[in-house]
Amino acid sequence: MLAYAIRRVLAIIPLIFAIATITFFLMHSVEGGPFDADKPLSPATKANLERRYGLDDPLPVQYVTYLKNLARLDFGISFANNRDISDIIKERMRVSVQLGIAAFLFATIFGLSLGVISSLNQNGLGDYVGVFVATAGAAMPSIVLAPLLTIAFAVELGWFKVLSTDYGFTGWFQGDFSNWKQVVLPTIGLGFLPMAFIARITRASMLEVLRQDYIRTARAKGLREFGVVMRHAAKNALIPVLTVLGPIFAGLITGSLVIERMFAIPGLGGEFVRSVIIRDYGLIMGVTVFFAVVIAVMNLIVDLLYGIADPRIRY
Amino acid sequence: MSASEQSLVQPFDFAAEVLHTKQRGLWAQAWQRLLHNRLAVVSGVILLVILAVSVLAEIIPAVQLHDPAVPDFALIEQNPSWEHPLGTDGLGRDLYARMTQATLFSLKIGIGTQLVILLIGVTIGMSAALAGRVSDTVLMWITDLAFAFPDLLAIILLRQVLFGRDWPIIGTGDPQIPGFPSSLLVTIMAISFVGWTTVARLVRGQMLSIKEQDYITAARAIGASPWRIVRVHMLPNTLSAVIVAATFGIPLAIFAEATLGFIGLGVPPPDASLGSLINSGLDSIQTHSIQLVWPTMMVALLMLCFTFLGDGLRDALDPRTRK
Repeated sequence: MLAYAIRRVLAIIPLIFAIATITFFLMHSVEGGPFDADKPLSPATKANLERRYGLDDPLPVQYVTYLKNLARLDFGISFANNRDISDIIKERMRVSVQLGIAAFLFATIFGLSLGVISSLNQNGLGDYVGVFVATAGAAMPSIVLAPLLTIAFAVELGWFKVLSTDYGFTGWFQGDFSNWKQVVLPTIGLGFLPMAFIARITRASMLEVLRQDYIRTARAKGLREFGVVMRHAAKNALIPVLTVLGPIFAGLITGSLVIERMFAIPGLGGEFVRSVIIRDYGLIMGVTVFFAVVIAVMNLIVDLLYGIADPRIRY
Repeated sequence: MSASEQSLVQPFDFAAEVLHTKQRGLWAQAWQRLLHNRLAVVSGVILLVILAVSVLAEIIPAVQLHDPAVPDFALIEQNPSWEHPLGTDGLGRDLYARMTQATLFSLKIGIGTQLVILLIGVTIGMSAALAGRVSDTVLMWITDLAFAFPDLLAIILLRQVLFGRDWPIIGTGDPQIPGFPSSLLVTIMAISFVGWTTVARLVRGQMLSIKEQDYITAARAIGASPWRIVRVHMLPNTLSAVIVAATFGIPLAIFAEATLGFIGLGVPPPDASLGSLINSGLDSIQTHSIQLVWPTMMVALLMLCFTFLGDGLRDALDPRTRK
C-alpha cells in the first residue's frame, strides 16, 4: 500500500512536466503577444518590455528557464500587474475553494440522501421524486440553472441580491458566515448537476446491495431496519460512489467559470479566461499547472481511499 | 449469407426454422426496441422538430420571420407578441430569429464534435488495441495525458490558438465548408481535440475483448485477412458502444460551447450561439429576464433530449444491460 502510494505520487511529476510543456508551446502559438494592445506601443518600449520579461530570448531558452523556475515552485510574475503569480493564485483560490467546498457539500449530502431514499422506496413516491430530480439534474448544468434560479429567487421574489460586490466567500476560513445569503444561489447552481449524478449512482448501487444475501441475513437475525440500511447496506453501497467524488470535487473547484462570471465572484477560473485573452503567459501556465496538480492529487486520494474502504482491493 | 455457411445450418433445420422466423438483424431489432422506449421516441421527435425548424430557418428566410442580425431601435426589449413570438433583445433584434440561428449553431457543434471525436477516438483506440505493445503503450500514455488536462482550460486555450489563423481546413473569413464558418470549425476542433479520450479508451477496451472471442479465431482459421476481420467483425461489434458514447457526448459538447460563448469566446457578433445569447441576456436580467430564459431553456431541452435518446439507444443496442 505504501509502495503503491509512493509510486503514484512520483508518477504525478512526469505528468505535470508533460502538461507544462504542452501548455507552454500551445500558449506561445496563440497569435499576438502580451504587449499588443489596441493602441500599439512604440517599438522601443515594446522591445524594452520584452527584454524585461525575457520574451526576447528564443522560445526553447524561455522554455528551459520556465521549467527551472517551476522546479523551484516559482511561477513568475504577471505581465498585467507585476504581481507574483503564486500570490494571485493563492488569493483567487481561496474564493474558488470555498465555493467548491460549499457546492461539494451540497451535492454530496443531498445526492446521497436522495439516492438512499429512492432506493428504499423503489417504485414508490420517494423514488419517483428522486429519479425525477436526478434525471432533470442531468440537463441542469450551472449555465442553465444559475440564470433560472437568479430570475426566480432574486429578480422575481427578491429573496437574494441579484449582483453584488458582497459575494460572500471572503471570510469563511476566518469563521465569518454573516453573508451566507449571497452563497446560496451560486452553491445550488454549481452543485445541482453533481448532486443529480451522485443520487443516480447511489440509488443504483443501493438497489444492487439491498438484493444481496447478507442483507437478508441481517434482517433475518432481527436487526432494526435502520441498522440494516446504515451499517450493512449503505456502507457497502458507498464504495462506487466514492470513486466519483474525487473527480467531482476537482471539477467543482476548477470548473466554476460560469458561476464566477454569473455572480461576479473573483475566483481562479475568471482569472484564467482573462489571462488567456490578454496572453499573460505566466498566469496561463500557473493556473493550468496548478489545476492539473489539483486534479491529479484528487484522483490519487480517491484511489487510496478506495483501497482503505474496500479491503478486497490489493495494490 | 453465402451458400457454404447456409449448408452448415441444414442438419439443424428445425432449429433454424424457429430462429429464422424471429431473426430480423441486429439493427432492425435495436430499432424495434428503441421504438418501444417512449421517452427516447419523444426526445427523438422533439430533436427532429428543433433540427427541422432551425435548418429550414437558415435556408428559407420566411421561416425565420426576421433577419437575426438587423436591429430595430424602435422595438427594444419587447415582450413576446404576434410580430415577435419570443420578443426582441436590447438592440431590437428578433429573438426567435436569433434563437433559430443559435440553436442550429449548437446542434452543429454537438454533432460536428462527435464526428471529429469518433474519427480521432476510433483511430487511436483501434491502433492501440491492434498495432502491438509499443503503440499501445505510447497511445494510451497520450490518452492519459490528454485526460489529465483540465478540460475547460484546454478547450479555451486551444480555441485561442486556432482562432483567427489560416489553417488548411479551418481557414479564415469565407466558409470553406458551406454552413460551417471558421468560428464554428474552430470551436468544434477545440472541443473535440480535448474530448476524444473516452471514445479512444472505449474502442480499445472493446477491441481487446473482441480480439479474444472464438469467432475471431474462427475467422482467422478460415483464412480471412486481418483487414477483413477488422472491417467485418471488429468494427461493427464496437459500433453500438461507440454510437451510445457519441450520443451522450453531444450534450457535453453543447454545454462546452455554451460556456465558451458565455465567457465571450463564442461566435463573433452579430451571429449568435446559445452561449452568447445567455451572455447578452445576463446584462438585461433585471429589466427583461425573458431574454435569458429562452436560450437557457433551449440548452436544457437539448441536453435532456440527447440524454434520453442516449439512454434509449444504450438499452436498445445492448439488451444485456436492460432491467
